[in-house]
This record gives sequence, C-alpha cells and structure tokens, in this order.
Amino acid sequence: MSMPNSPFMVPATTPGFGEIILTLLTAKKQVLNTFTYQYPLKLIAPGLYKSPAEKHVTLVFLLTYGGGLVGGDKTNLKTTLNNHTRLVLLTQGSTKIFKSSSAATVSRQVINVKIGQGASLCYLPDPTQPFKASVYEQRQTFYVDPAGTSSLLMLDWVSEGRRARGENWTLSSWKGRNEVRHFDESSRGRLLLRDAVMLHEGDPGASLAHKTNNMGVFGTLIVYGPTFHELGDFIMQEFAAQPRIGARAWDSEQGKTDVEAAVRPRQAAENDDGLLWTAANVRGFVLVKFGSTEVDGARRWLGSLLRRQGTVETEFGHQSLLCLR
Amino acid sequence: MNAEDIERLKTHVAELEQQLHVTKAILKRAESSQTGSRDAAQKASLPLGPSLHNLLLLSDSALPLGSFAYSSGLESFLAHNKGGNNLVLFQQFLKLTLRSMAYTNVPYLLASFRDPLALMELDNDIDASTPCTVQRRASIAQGRALLGVWEKAFATTARKQFAEGQEAMAALSTFAADLRAAAVSSEKLPVNGHLAPLWGVAAMSLGLNLEEACYVFLLNHAKAVVSAGVRASVMGPYQAQSLLAGEALQKLVKENLEKVWFLQPEDAGQVVPAMDLWNGRHELLYSRIFNS
Repeated sequence: MSMPNSPFMVPATTPGFGEIILTLLTAKKQVLNTFTYQYPLKLIAPGLYKSPAEKHVTLVFLLTYGGGLVGGDKTNLKTTLNNHTRLVLLTQGSTKIFKSSSAATVSRQVINVKIGQGASLCYLPDPTQPFKASVYEQRQTFYVDPAGTSSLLMLDWVSEGRRARGENWTLSSWKGRNEVRHFDESSRGRLLLRDAVMLHEGDPGASLAHKTNNMGVFGTLIVYGPTFHELGDFIMQEFAAQPRIGARAWDSEQGKTDVEAAVRPRQAAENDDGLLWTAANVRGFVLVKFGSTEVDGARRWLGSLLRRQGTVETEFGHQSLLCLR
Repeated sequence: MNAEDIERLKTHVAELEQQLHVTKAILKRAESSQTGSRDAAQKASLPLGPSLHNLLLLSDSALPLGSFAYSSGLESFLAHNKGGNNLVLFQQFLKLTLRSMAYTNVPYLLASFRDPLALMELDNDIDASTPCTVQRRASIAQGRALLGVWEKAFATTARKQFAEGQEAMAALSTFAADLRAAAVSSEKLPVNGHLAPLWGVAAMSLGLNLEEACYVFLLNHAKAVVSAGVRASVMGPYQAQSLLAGEALQKLVKENLEKVWFLQPEDAGQVVPAMDLWNGRHELLYSRIFNS
C-alpha cells in the first residue's frame, strides 16, 4: 500500500535558513523587509529604538533551541543591511556546542552579511562553548562597500567548555573563519581580511592546552569603518600605553600621560585574570586578539574598554553591550 | 750429513722458491706495461645537476634574506614564561611554531608552486590572513629580500638552465615590476611581497620539486628559530645542532607537511591561537634582541 499524500503544506523555507533584510524607509525610520527563520535557527527582533545619538537601531537576537547546537545542526543566516541602516546582532547566552557522535557529524553556523553604503553592523555575541567531543564549523563573511563607507564591529570568541566539568579544550574540532570582502556583483569580492582559527584535538606532540597556553577563552575583535574610527584609535592608544614586559618601574607617576596613569590600576586586575591582548592596525582594520584564563575576565575587560571609549553606547545604545555586562 | 743440515737446506730451498715467484711476477708486470696496455682513464658522470645546487643554496643560512633578525615570537614567548626551564620551554615552542607555520604559510607555498600565475592573488590573500603587524613585517621583509636575491643572483643562470620554469620566472619578474611601481605610486600598496608564495614560485623557477621546496622552507624556519634560541642564550651551538640533527625534528617537519599537503589557502588558518598573542605582544617587550 503506498503512503497517503501528506496533508501538510511543503514548507517554503529550508531547515536552519534565515534571512534578514533591513531597509531605510524614510530618513527617520528603518524597517525589516524580510525576517524569516526556521528551526534550528531562531531570531527575535524586540523592536526599533533610538540610540543616544538619535540614530534608529534595529536589534536582533540570534538564538538556538536549547541554547545550543546538537551534533549535526546547521544554520545559515543571510543578512542584508541596505544603505544607511544600523543593526545590532546579539545572543542570549553562550552558544553551546553539544557533542557529536562521530567526526563526520559537523555542527555548522554560516552567516553572510552585506553591509551597504553608510550602513553599520555591531555584532557582539556571547562566546561559543564547545563541549567535549564536539565538532563545529563557523563561517562568517561580511561584504562591505568598496568605497569604504560601511562599518563593522565584530566579536568572535570561544571558551574552553564547561569548566565545572573539567572540560579544558576537550573538543574534537572547532573551526572558525571570519572574512571581510568587497561587495562585488560579478565575483567573490576582493579579500580584505581573513581571521581563521582551527582547533583539533589528537595531536600527541602538542596538546590543545599548550596551543592555547592554558587560556580559558580567546577571541578576536574586528573594528572597521567610519563609525568606529575613533574606537579603533582608542584601542591602539591603549595598546601602546601598556606597560612594557620585563621593565622595572624606574619612572615615577609624574610625567606620565593621562592614559598611562589610568592604565596602572587596571593592569593589576588584568594580570590576575591572566589577560593577554594585542591590537594591530592593518589594511584599514583594527584587529584585537585577546585571551584570558576565564570568560568573565575577558568579558569585564572588553566591556570596560568599549564603555570607556563610548562610541558603541552612543551610536547603538546600551543594549548593544548586553553580552558584555 | 745429519738431520739439521737437511732441514737447513729445505728452508733455503723454500726461500729461493719464494724469491723466484716474486721476481717472476715483477717480470710479468714489467713485460705487460712494456706492451702499453694501460687502462683508459675512466670518465665518471655523476647525477648532480643545477637543481641540487640551487636546493643547497636555498637551504643555506647565508642566503641574504635577513632571517637572522626574526625569532618568530620566541623572544616574546620566553618573556611571558619567565621562571621555567628555558630548554624545555624552547622545545615546546619549536613544536608550536612549526605547526603554526605549516598551517598558516605552507598552503600558500603549495598553491603558488602549483599555479605560479596566481601569485598576485595569493600575495593579497596571505596578507589579508596575517593580521599581526609583527608577523607581516617579518614575512614581507624576507619575501622582498628573496625577490631581490632572485633578480640579482639566480635569474640569469636559471633562465638558461630550466626551460620548463619559464612561466614561473615570468610571474616573478612581473611581480617584481609591480612592486617597484607600487613603491613609487602614492596610493595604498596592493602588492606586498610575502615570503611563502614567493618561495613557491622561486623554488619552481630554480628546478626544485614540490617536496623539496616545502621541506626546505619548513627546515629553514626551524633553523632560524634554533639559531634565535642560541642567540637568546637558551642553549649552546652544539646543543642546537643536536636538536637540528635529531630524529624528532625530522619527524616533526615531515608530519606537519603531510598534514597540510592538500590544504587549500582558503582553508588555511591559525592552529596555535597563543602564537598570535605572543607575536603581537613582541612590541611590548622592554628590551628586544630580535625584530619579531
């Protein structure tokens, strides 16, 4: 006997796929033209609000069911920020990557964002938390305006797992690739920046703990574009004002610049957290790489850095720093 | 006559017979050389070609690339890990830096060797994938020095000897011309001159095969780090040499190459996240011997 025809409609969307299109309707209002998602991806848009700088900002939460991705879950989000729009992307807690039954079962998250002329994206999620024996791949590609008018602030960080269960980088594989390319209709677009990290266990000579220098979390912050120009300069100044390693404190407190004098007391707290960071100004980007013994230490440091400088809160509202409280 | 005399006579006869034998042999050799049957001087032909010569030159520490100025993060690593046994730390670092170099740079080397015409694109991509200013500086300085060495020393001879490398040589000359043009133009430089892609194309032009080119690249890196270790007083020159000659290093280089042999440049990435931090924080060292 053949199977009866299903009474349910064939779904219009594909599992894990989502799309966001943001457009400026008038000079004062931007709307979400398209906002679709399907399990295991979920999106929530609480509503348009105005930042302290009188700019309209749309906030979208990227969520997964159960707070994480089970082995084999794949999500694919396509986002388009049309000219002069502003978007903040956040998460509600760390994305947990559950274990995979085999190395062939890969959990994957793919995000493709097109940032139009004069548009800005602020993407500050919580870190991913890969559990023991998890297999995960992540591809985030941002297409920006070749004339350099798009702005991007992106944070990508990963933690060691569930510390309370003794998971110290016991994942099977974690691959992350962040790319920024020129938007080009006819080709892939010229590559401006690529930040790729690959972690896999199973290397007898050098364990993952060695490769990560026993850090509990590490990550990258990408700062690009006119909206975040001052933030980039501020970060470079902070880095240059870091006390030199191996130096003796010959000089007194007098004669130090304001930045240097302020850095000193914070430094003690950062040293306790085992925080190491570097900042580089390359190819028009300010790229920050950091690592810390614990997630909270990194969260505090990064949150304080962004709050002190102020651009993010002024232009996107205090809500944009939700994950860095 | 008694028995003694008989014995004495017998020994004497034996001696005379021995002398006769030897003299007969000398006579025979004298007669044969008289007839002029000298062996024609054999000409040996050895399978040593210009590619071996070039391989040895590329592996020479005296190749003027300026690699001695870069410790590839060793100095910063030691400063961040004060108070341990430096030699043990060094060996750990050597493993990490070889692994990191294999996954971040060797895929570009492989790609440029297999397709020399993609040199410009690979140069841009590796520049985009090396966000750390310290590492970029080191790679670009060495790459440009390699290009200079190629033009001034290797190019003329290689053009005569390796007809099949013409495409690769043309790619190198075009790249060098672009670099010169970009240096005088006022706009931002899209041509950089990173070491790994240039190494691939140069090795192809010099007649090396792919395995040799990669092995030499990775071994040169190991030698540079070990030499930096000696200058940073981690160990003495004999200890350094025993590290280099040891089986552990041979296995390390070979295994790392095997792991990345099929890796495409777009899949290349950093496998030792801490390396980026150590390299980037090199600028924060109070006193530095090395440039990186």
